[in-house]
Amino acid sequence: MILVAITSISVSAEDLRKIISLSGYWKFSIGDDIQWASPLYDDSDWDEITVPEQWENQGYNEYNGYAWYRKTFMLGNIPANGTIYLMLGRIDDADMVYLNGKLLGRNGKFPPDFVTAYDKVRKYNIPAGYIKLDAENVIAVRVYDTYLDGGITDGPTGIYYDADNDYLSLKLDGRWKFHTGDSKDWSSPDFIDEGWKTINVPSEWENEGYADYDGYAWYRIKFRLPQNFSTGEMYLSLGKIDDVDEVYLNGKLIGSVYDLRKDGEYRRSGWEFNARRLYKIKEGSLNRNGINTIAIRVYDGQLRGGIYEGPVGIMSAENYRRFRNKHYTNQSFWDQIYDMIVED
Amino acid sequence: MKMAWRWRFDYFNNVSRMKTFYISVLVCLITQSGRINAEQGNLSLLQNLKGTWSFSIGINDEWTSPKYNDTGWETIKVPSSWEDQGFNGYNGYAFYRKKFTIPSVHKGRMLYLYMGYIDDVDAVYLNGHKIGSTGGFPPDYVTAYNAERIYFIPEQYINFDGTNLIAVKVYDSYQAGGIVSGEIGLYGGRASVRFDVNLQTNWKFKPGDDLRRKDTGFDDSLWDEVFVPAKWEDQGYRDYDGYAWYRKSFVYTGSNEDDKLVILLGKIDDIDQVYINGTLVGSTGNFTGKMNARIFTGQEYNAFRGYYLPAGLLKKGQKYVVAVRVLDTGGVGGIYEGPVGIITQTKYIEYWRKIKKSGN
Repeated sequence: MILVAITSISVSAEDLRKIISLSGYWKFSIGDDIQWASPLYDDSDWDEITVPEQWENQGYNEYNGYAWYRKTFMLGNIPANGTIYLMLGRIDDADMVYLNGKLLGRNGKFPPDFVTAYDKVRKYNIPAGYIKLDAENVIAVRVYDTYLDGGITDGPTGIYYDADNDYLSLKLDGRWKFHTGDSKDWSSPDFIDEGWKTINVPSEWENEGYADYDGYAWYRIKFRLPQNFSTGEMYLSLGKIDDVDEVYLNGKLIGSVYDLRKDGEYRRSGWEFNARRLYKIKEGSLNRNGINTIAIRVYDGQLRGGIYEGPVGIMSAENYRRFRNKHYTNQSFWDQIYDMIVED
Repeated sequence: MKMAWRWRFDYFNNVSRMKTFYISVLVCLITQSGRINAEQGNLSLLQNLKGTWSFSIGINDEWTSPKYNDTGWETIKVPSSWEDQGFNGYNGYAFYRKKFTIPSVHKGRMLYLYMGYIDDVDAVYLNGHKIGSTGGFPPDYVTAYNAERIYFIPEQYINFDGTNLIAVKVYDSYQAGGIVSGEIGLYGGRASVRFDVNLQTNWKFKPGDDLRRKDTGFDDSLWDEVFVPAKWEDQGYRDYDGYAWYRKSFVYTGSNEDDKLVILLGKIDDIDQVYINGTLVGSTGNFTGKMNARIFTGQEYNAFRGYYLPAGLLKKGQKYVVAVRVLDTGGVGGIYEGPVGIITQTKYIEYWRKIKKSGN
């Protein structure tokens, strides 16, 4: 029941589609050794257990502490335009997830400052270049459990992609510059953000090592348009952001969740964090030949924070309407009337 | 046992609910003896010790010794009340003795003597060493006729492949007396543990709380000694609930300094903090001074403790002090179940693979 509910929630919100399932037998060992993150490590003499299912039910009754899971898989094809996610369901209590030796993300905290995240469904953005096609990929999951149930316990496990990326003319997901705190200067295209850390977008910042952070933070990205990029009215999609945002394109404010308030979708979503960010880019505001800078000021009140869901990128006006039609189909008659009045 | 549900204590935030909470804890503690129950817990029967035992009424310190010759004694069936075996109407002291062999294949395994139910009070000796006691002998008489007896046998007391003597001192106040029921026998814990440092021995022990007790140089010379693992109720602290500290110094003699180390403390009732030379290396439960319901779930007493030590903490040939702070909220208290010791991660992985293989 829970599994079905999670899958359908994810799908309805984001149009996530499964590329491959990763449930079934995984290699497993109790203990802790950072070498086990490496794709080169030989785990052939490790035990095997089923994922998802708590290890207590699989011969490790009463085991508490560190353990690692490893899984090798091949991927024939991924959609060219997709944001790819690794879903691991719930992990009891804390985890760090490596793909081919690179840290994808983490949740909860390991000792000595232990914090559980046992009830959270893990969804990790896989940045471009982390995953190999037509070759072996190795996922290694480091887990720490205090007591009672432990391990990858339930929920969807697999590689997924966000089909909504097909609406984008230019994808902007991946590594962005990121800084906690707040400064007016950070909106400027001239500001030098070289010293900033990078972060995956979209991905809640709790996945990225900012487990306890609430408050202001800024995201920045620089990009060039491809040649012959379509002209005319465009839209910047930033998926969903927890909680509120102000978006600057080349130093100019182009939108904020507060601007969306007159939108029927925003009213129906109920909260800032659940509203799809779609901001109009006026003709002429994108540099055709030079560098463009997007800077996003985010404020998170509590719990999950940041640009946590896609699609992230630029879409044409036509795709903008198609995207809205796809996701905003549940409007009542009165909602439609209201939208018409407000739009006029 | 599957723990499908778990308590996270956000809803224990008002007084009336706290009451429910304490009642739940009480239920957990009452059911706990069933959990360690030899027949349904993690223990498996290695040797049945039911049947004919030597028996004498009376009391004599020499009767605990393996050297004492009991050939002139009566025999009696165990388990059964002595009233049914020709000693009708007898109340007071009596001794049971039995010789048996423990094969050396059991070396390294946690071994337990399960004595079932004894009416009213007992003390059990293996080869002259006391391994446990339940209830209180006169003059501080307390019956424990409804308590299940399960005593850990320290390996150093065992004569492997040779004769071992069990001597049981019993005091009965009235009505049925003796070793009255249960699947009496020698039981083995889960897989054997190959310790690098075996800490199943006497520890320094003191009730109360003082964080300075974690420090290496703290003077514990006047502290009491108790055996670990065993509930403190069996070792002279019958009604004690609250804070207590255990301390033990040891020399690290491990072979492989490159391997990670794990300190095992079996099970502790209820919550604990473990320090080595003053450094906190592991903890279960939450010490806030109050019974903080958000972290204290009432299941801590049943959690198996295996704390991974920070790399490089122990160096070969050096002396260390491990200090364990325990808070018991009621009922059974202390480090009550093993294994207790230090083991390399490699051996610890081996240990869990063996447990999985053996299916318990």
